[in-house]
Amino acid sequence: MSVSNLLENWSKFRHTHPVDDKGHPDWEAYPSDIKWAMSIDLDACTGCNACSVACYAENNLPVVGKEKYSHGQAMHWMRIERYWDESAGVGEFDADKGARFLPMMCQQCEAAPCETVCPVGATNHTEDGLNSQIYNRCIGSRYCSANCPYKVRYFNWYNYPEQEKVWPEPLNQQLNPDLTVRTKGVMEKCTFCKQRTYTARNNAKTEGRPVQDSDVQTACQEACPVGAITFGNLFNPESQVAKQWKSQQVELTKEVQDKDEKEGNRLRGYRILEELRPYPSVMYLERVRESAV
Amino acid sequence: MQHILRLFILLVGLFAGAGSYAADAAPKLTTPDDLGPQIEQPIEFPHFRHAGDAKDGGMQINCMYCHTYARRSMVAGIPPVQKCIGCHQSIESVRDKPRIQKLFEYWDAKKPIPWKKVHDLPDFVRFNHERHIQRFYFQQDRPYQEVCGYCHGNVKAMTVAQRQKPLTMGWCASCHQKDHPVSANSTETGHGPNDCFTCHK
Amino acid sequence: MTENDFNRRDFLKVLGWGGTAVALSGCGNTSIEDGKETVTSYVTLPSYVIPSISNYFNSTCAQCEAGCNIMGRVREGRVLKAEGNPNSPINRGRMCGLGLSGVQAHYNPDRVRQPLLKGEAITWDKALGVIADKLNGVKGAEVAFLTGNMSGHVQALLGNYMDELGSKNHFSYEAISPAVLRAANKKAYGVSMPRYRIDKARVVVSFGADFLGAWVSPVHFSQQYAQFRKGSRPEGRGVLVQIEPKMTLTGANADRWIGVRPGSEGVLALGIINALGKAGLAIPADVAAASKAYTPERVSGETDVTVEQIEKLAALLKERTPSLVLTGSAAEGYAHGSQNAAAIALLNRVLGNIGKTVEASASVPFPQIAPTVGNRASLVSLNDGLAAGKYKVVFSYGVNPVFSAPAALKFKDNYAKADFKVAFAQYLDETAQAADLVLPLESAMEDWATVVPEYMAAPEGAGSAGYAQMSFRQPLMDKLYPDTRGIGDILLALLKQRKADKYKEFDDFYAYLRSAVLKNKVALGGKATDDDDVFWDETLSKGFVPMKGIAGAVSAKASASDLRLPSATADQEYPLRLIPAVSASMRDGRNANEPWLQESPDPLTTIVWDSWVEINPKTAAKLGIVEGDIVEVTSRSGTIRTQAYLFPGIHPDAVSVPVGYGHEAMGRYAKGVGANVFAMLDAVFDKETGELALNETGVKISKTGQRVVIVKEEGPVGGSQAGKKKIAVQVAADKVDLSKEV
Repeated sequence: MSVSNLLENWSKFRHTHPVDDKGHPDWEAYPSDIKWAMSIDLDACTGCNACSVACYAENNLPVVGKEKYSHGQAMHWMRIERYWDESAGVGEFDADKGARFLPMMCQQCEAAPCETVCPVGATNHTEDGLNSQIYNRCIGSRYCSANCPYKVRYFNWYNYPEQEKVWPEPLNQQLNPDLTVRTKGVMEKCTFCKQRTYTARNNAKTEGRPVQDSDVQTACQEACPVGAITFGNLFNPESQVAKQWKSQQVELTKEVQDKDEKEGNRLRGYRILEELRPYPSVMYLERVRESAV
Repeated sequence: MQHILRLFILLVGLFAGAGSYAADAAPKLTTPDDLGPQIEQPIEFPHFRHAGDAKDGGMQINCMYCHTYARRSMVAGIPPVQKCIGCHQSIESVRDKPRIQKLFEYWDAKKPIPWKKVHDLPDFVRFNHERHIQRFYFQQDRPYQEVCGYCHGNVKAMTVAQRQKPLTMGWCASCHQKDHPVSANSTETGHGPNDCFTCHK
Repeated sequence: MTENDFNRRDFLKVLGWGGTAVALSGCGNTSIEDGKETVTSYVTLPSYVIPSISNYFNSTCAQCEAGCNIMGRVREGRVLKAEGNPNSPINRGRMCGLGLSGVQAHYNPDRVRQPLLKGEAITWDKALGVIADKLNGVKGAEVAFLTGNMSGHVQALLGNYMDELGSKNHFSYEAISPAVLRAANKKAYGVSMPRYRIDKARVVVSFGADFLGAWVSPVHFSQQYAQFRKGSRPEGRGVLVQIEPKMTLTGANADRWIGVRPGSEGVLALGIINALGKAGLAIPADVAAASKAYTPERVSGETDVTVEQIEKLAALLKERTPSLVLTGSAAEGYAHGSQNAAAIALLNRVLGNIGKTVEASASVPFPQIAPTVGNRASLVSLNDGLAAGKYKVVFSYGVNPVFSAPAALKFKDNYAKADFKVAFAQYLDETAQAADLVLPLESAMEDWATVVPEYMAAPEGAGSAGYAQMSFRQPLMDKLYPDTRGIGDILLALLKQRKADKYKEFDDFYAYLRSAVLKNKVALGGKATDDDDVFWDETLSKGFVPMKGIAGAVSAKASASDLRLPSATADQEYPLRLIPAVSASMRDGRNANEPWLQESPDPLTTIVWDSWVEINPKTAAKLGIVEGDIVEVTSRSGTIRTQAYLFPGIHPDAVSVPVGYGHEAMGRYAKGVGANVFAMLDAVFDKETGELALNETGVKISKTGQRVVIVKEEGPVGGSQAGKKKIAVQVAADKVDLSKEV
């Protein structure tokens, strides 16, 4: 999605959404040699919340306080979901094998359900495979949030910087100048640390070479005490994330993964809600639990 | 003293470098003008004196001698006072001029000069000087006055800089949509990025 | 830096954003507004500073005792974020949420900005004058200095100051302290803080050591844990068993969490040893004698762990070696805590882990900078002295005992008995409010210090046995408030009051520190011929220096013959056991005024901005309590009111309330949030170490009739994946081959 086709041919934009009439994304036409993607190892993840706090620090997320939190207005782009094993029925939980933690943030879907419903084209796909959110184009219809199966879009119900005074002097000096502080009435969400990928691409371009893994880490990945998060360019076969996706036989373009699995060698990679065909860019690796105890 | 000497050598080098461009007639700037307000600065800095052509009494200093970050940072930057003093402490001829006296007042008081922004984009816009300088000055080998002039206009003829271009999104996009040669000797062309997300932060 | 004859201190002064307006993005400017804002402008700038590009300066985190090495991300004179120093053997480039929130301690809007004498702002000269007056004619024995953990050159200065005063009353106190662990380790292994090698173990059995959350050095142990879980490791994927009555973050990550009856951990350890013997493992005679009576059947009855479970665990431990057995606060917080810890440590001896996964550590070669570690016993002896009117002048630094002392000590009343109380404080917390004079401290991102961690992590490879390190804390930006001072500078000023001549060559603590470091260049990894300036700059840019430490040695010397493990007794009046929970983000509550931590959900309950009491659903059903009921939790020493949360990860005989909440002062984000569980703890102490037995408080619970909707992250079905089974997916270890994963 770009300024030019937005301005010139709105209907064409809708038509050439990554999922074309064939029912799957048109990868031949992919406009760039970068596709940002992530993998998260749930067996390593401890649910400690460091990634979430790092996201607050990096992305100028407002602390909304107890009351607004109770209204579901928390702005955590990266949140940790906690699940229990269920013993009998709903609400009866079994803690014998601990809890299951799941870091959840925007999955940067290739055929993102949020994109098609935006009435003003404020959320759309970038050439490096991100699902962008253009704050000053957003009119706050919240259709995108309603249509997001992962519920990872967060709406600014208030003017946090000025009226809610979420950053009283001198807390505001901590704000990251690389991105804006959003104001009332706009939607926001995880950007895969756009400001960091931007800088990485810029520096690589100046040096005349492709982007490598060592150029960029997202804030959550950088903080993670157990290194559960891997991030990089899926189109670069040398990148760790591409190697992981390949070894787990998870393909970006498939909605049903066709895995070559043998008894005792199940592959752990999966994508959440893959069956809805949003083609998410985040692969999770299943949590493992020993049965000998 | 040591680093002042170094600055001086650098300065001479730049004069020589700038000289070679003087032969190229600057091509016409292709975008329409949209004059911004005249802004009062703490010191009325004469751009024409520093960057202007020799025939107009200028010294043809490369823009990036003072706005040194333009090629390696998002922002072009204002030089620290130290940089102004680096040259001016050995230029006796203008030492008594009121503007220079003012400059030395700031230096003696160790106070930064509160320059006002002349080209001030909205805070949600990410404009990257480095990318544009790398593309047009280094890769395409265009003269620096032309490259900087695409957005800043004919600063070398100004005293205090004044905005000359609209700097609106449509104006940016009008250039991004054009095909530009990839490098000085290439017939291959490319246009600027067209993703909203590249410039909106 | 050296290129421009421009040192870092000048740099901070000149660069300080005093004279320059830095535009904060997004707050207003939404159109082209020429001439409204000021350009970021400097007087002078070192070549490594480029506007819009961040510089990183290495420093040391001050948010907890682990002392992780961090890098401050600095732009346009402001520190924006703390990131991990990748070269650090402690945190290896990683961070925890608590550490990341350090910037909010620095930029906190509720910091004390001026010296306050009985609430009135005064100058530093006056403040120091008042201290000199009050100390005049006071004997050394009448002065007490209470601190938290200390180390490095600040501690050395404090030692000098105490010597000048002629006082031996330096009390080192931690509200949540591994004091029992230190003593038990010393007995069992010969060193108080050995290096644990979770990364080398095939099985880790942890008796309540929350090493992923709040135990000792959590980011370091998380690194080890990541290795431990890798299937591609030669030892294969490690198995974690967590034994504790209330599930911690580590328990939530265990392959098997065993909700043992509170206090019976030592009994279970002996039961496992008994089962190991039955399974054919050779048990030393003294241990066999001590564990003989602990048959699986008896142990099962006392601990609520099934015989089958005990036998399975023993089989696993016998089969997979080396293993590692850890003991943490959940097992140690009893009157017989040391006995529990000793029994658990026997497991490492029996399994042959000592020397394999329990390794010797090293200490720094300079005793005056080695860490002074705190405990509760120290607070108790200060409290006794205060009650007896022994102390006229009391200093406190880095601790908040008025908040965190158990109610039964009546610390606040005793503290008031001292004639003159000085608090060095960053916030007006409960202790600072009770003090006569409050001296405002610089934040940990503004001051200078050296830090020697108690848990000495080592890099991989040869020479790690004797590895010790000292970390540097340096200013990451100019200070926000001119009238705050670093603790080092204050101590130096106080020393000058008494011995002006001896310290006259040092203008400030920076000068003292630099000179002390340069004097010991060789011990700090430099050469005698190194240029002082170069060595200093390089040291600061690394952020820490390795030292040839004094290597300790571990030995399996504990005897099992004097173990005494009492059987649980029922308390009719207060039938439930209260377990104060120490969470990774709130810890002892000293960071409660950092809003990210308040808004960051508790990992297990997902509750934000409040306290809660965790109750097992079975117990709750008996008491007729449902989620959100406001209940009164009453002990012999006090009562708190809070919301009830039904939690499957807790023993039915126990309830748990998080510590760190319930501040009555400190600041806008901490005050009035939740209830203070310290205020209801009984004064029961571990019999051997004198440490407060955190888990010895019996409570009863009654409903108040009020009910609230708990503010939490999880949805109304409380963590169910019903209807969406492929969200957080789990697979059994024998169904996957992890050895070839990339």
